[in-house]
Amino acid sequence: MLFNSYPFILLFLPVVLAGYFWLGRRSNLVPVIWLALASLAFYAIGNWQFVALLLISIAFNYGVGHLLIVAKLGLTQRKAALALGVAGDLVVLGIFKYASFATENINALFGTHFAVHILLPVGISFYTFTQIAFLVDAYRGQVAAYALPHYVLFVTYFPHLIAGPILHHKDMIPQFERKETKHPDAHLILCGVIIFAIGLFKKTCLADGIQPLVALAFEARSPSFDQAWLGALAYTFQLYFDFSGYSDMAIGISLTFGIFLPVNFNSPYKATSIVDFWRRWHMTLSQFLRDYLYIPLGGNRHGRLLRYVNLMITMLLGGLWHGAAWTFVAWGALHGAYLCVNHAFNALAPKIPSVLARPARIAGALLTFLAVVVAWVFFRAVSVAWALRVLHAMVDPSNIVFGREEIAALVLIAVYAALVWLAPNTQAIMGYDHGNRRVGETLRAGRMRPLLLYGASLVLAFGILGIQSHSEFIYFRF
Amino acid sequence: MQGTFTHLRQLLLASMACVLGAAMLNYLVDPLQLFRPSRLALYSDDTRVQNAGLIRSQSFDTVFMGTSLAIHFRQSNIDRALGVHSLKLAMTGSNSRQQSFVLEQAVDRGAKRVIWEMDDFIFVDAPDIEADPYLSVDLYRRTTKGIASYLFSAAMAKESLFTLLRSVPPLRQKLTQAAPYLPVTFALSDVDDIYALPRDFDIGRDYNTKKTLAAFTYITAPPRRRFLGEGYGYEAMIRHFEQDAMGLIARHPDVTFDIYFPPYSILQFVAMRDASPATLKIVVDLTAVIAQRLTQLPNVRLHDFRAIRAVTHDLANYGDVIHHSPVVDAKVLSWLASGEYRVDPNKPLASLDELKAQVEAYRVPQP
Repeated sequence: MLFNSYPFILLFLPVVLAGYFWLGRRSNLVPVIWLALASLAFYAIGNWQFVALLLISIAFNYGVGHLLIVAKLGLTQRKAALALGVAGDLVVLGIFKYASFATENINALFGTHFAVHILLPVGISFYTFTQIAFLVDAYRGQVAAYALPHYVLFVTYFPHLIAGPILHHKDMIPQFERKETKHPDAHLILCGVIIFAIGLFKKTCLADGIQPLVALAFEARSPSFDQAWLGALAYTFQLYFDFSGYSDMAIGISLTFGIFLPVNFNSPYKATSIVDFWRRWHMTLSQFLRDYLYIPLGGNRHGRLLRYVNLMITMLLGGLWHGAAWTFVAWGALHGAYLCVNHAFNALAPKIPSVLARPARIAGALLTFLAVVVAWVFFRAVSVAWALRVLHAMVDPSNIVFGREEIAALVLIAVYAALVWLAPNTQAIMGYDHGNRRVGETLRAGRMRPLLLYGASLVLAFGILGIQSHSEFIYFRF
Repeated sequence: MQGTFTHLRQLLLASMACVLGAAMLNYLVDPLQLFRPSRLALYSDDTRVQNAGLIRSQSFDTVFMGTSLAIHFRQSNIDRALGVHSLKLAMTGSNSRQQSFVLEQAVDRGAKRVIWEMDDFIFVDAPDIEADPYLSVDLYRRTTKGIASYLFSAAMAKESLFTLLRSVPPLRQKLTQAAPYLPVTFALSDVDDIYALPRDFDIGRDYNTKKTLAAFTYITAPPRRRFLGEGYGYEAMIRHFEQDAMGLIARHPDVTFDIYFPPYSILQFVAMRDASPATLKIVVDLTAVIAQRLTQLPNVRLHDFRAIRAVTHDLANYGDVIHHSPVVDAKVLSWLASGEYRVDPNKPLASLDELKAQVEAYRVPQP
């Protein structure tokens, strides 16, 4: 089921909300079970064939986690249990996500003709990572024993299940356990609806609105210089509004249940360096990769060279996490290289005088944006060869069309660029503070209330009017 | 607490008001002219949507259908050459189901003559028209669902707002001039300009031998040659021809159908000959059946332009292996008017045989 669909907005969400708060008057546990069942129903609509896999994954990880938390195991046994749990998760992920890719490469290398056709279960990358984090923390002794309904809800919680944000059990389960979340909080519901409206608008009007321009670069046999740039920029903005729109909707929906989800985007295209970019883009994934891959690999604790190696490994695997294709490996490798260069520059370059700080930040932001756009070409292209073709066009100014269509595209790109660089982001507009569980203090105080309310009503209206028959989120396929 | 629920109610009510306001705006401005014709209307190149409005709002006795091969024709040129009052409904990349459906709607609205640019590849297998995601049958039929999707649309509200702004006298001229360069879909002030090439278009830059040969090299390269026959299947194509073309023609015996096989460059067939012979066989067999079947119908005039050597062998006429220049567009109209290349019902395969001989004999120019 899609957030940007009439059945979800007009039927599913109101029914689940009503049931949750109605049951919340009677019990603290039953609403959790209700929400978990609703989440499974949400997943089953359109993905029913993968529900069993999801349930098996939950049972397996809960079982292994239980062993690690409750059973009195020795160190070796604990290590073995963790290895079993993580390996089990990765094997399942490998089979469903990477088997076809591996087979294609084996065929290409050895001239064989093996064929593997396995459908990718929606959300598998997200719920696998979520549970690996749980197992690792359980091994480290950082997890209390969770009740099964709360754990099931933590994994399946429908606002995040399909495309994140990647949740952390220590953040979520205590919220599910709180009695207060089972009673409707009008302020949180209002703020949730506004955040949802912003996300819906981002998706249906902004991301879907610019999507046709992407074809200029990625569906043309030989795009010109201007077409390649316009298409690459269009995709850069489409991806941002699509994914951050989804994340906003997830945060907004969750807030109506009284649950705070972590922020996933913080104006990433305003980043002044690649390091800064990764603190702002898909933040929950970056945190996961840092905590459960980069730091366990050694992080920056074993010298500069090993730090760069660890960065490259982390980003290569981060690329591969997005999809089983060489284009994603290339994208990850590029970002790994960017990060290495960025860290090397920070270590070796002299300190910039304060008078030059501002120009340096602007130059850094431009360079970062450019580097990110180049990397997105690999992320979007159907093959590395196709990406190289687009990039080749982007450095060949001898072939320029700049006709009517390209001028109209440029106007639209300029509007999106202004939005991305000049407008505040959702959490700034709403004063969303995930850590302190605060939101909309300005609204509560009455300042700017009419402006926010009527602005939000317009955004919600256009978000709803922008709903097309079927427009999936880009990150659903990861 | 109560106060905040009041705010939530206010927000939802204001949103509903905005939604209804946008729908009202769309209904009053009616950018597609689905409900009423308008002198101030603008037109869109999105032909699958635009055609639904054109059929309702324009007066015509003849309709012109086809794919991208027929997209650059101007209605004014068609009218002049053939002495008709035409409406161009060609759609890029369209299949026979879409073409047949749109033609049926136009015939139901009074078209007495159909000029149909018929490619072999329109008959490849495709979704049923009722489930076609790219062409809304509900919009054409004006069902409740179709009208709701038209009125309750942010994209259409943007177009309505632009049309409204453009109707303000001080803004009219400037916005009309700027429209083609703005991100609006309904940007053309003249129905004749839909997908037509600008009058000052540099033909030599876009249509030349170099581009045609480059396209030939591209499509026949080993990694891509499998795409030449993509979707081609003799049985399915015959079935779609019978359903979509023969079915439509049989249902409307009072309508005259001028159907033509367009003048692709010879390289289109040579590419198949060299890189995908099975596809060439399907094309030959399919068009043989089409020629034999259509020439037997009293309300069909079939024209075959595929073997006109003076055009098809001159690669400077093309932008790739099939798309010909506006110069050839003009020739097509004159051939249709004169009937010079009309297929003789007694010898329906004569032009096809000539084409086969040409394809066999042709040698690709080496750079």
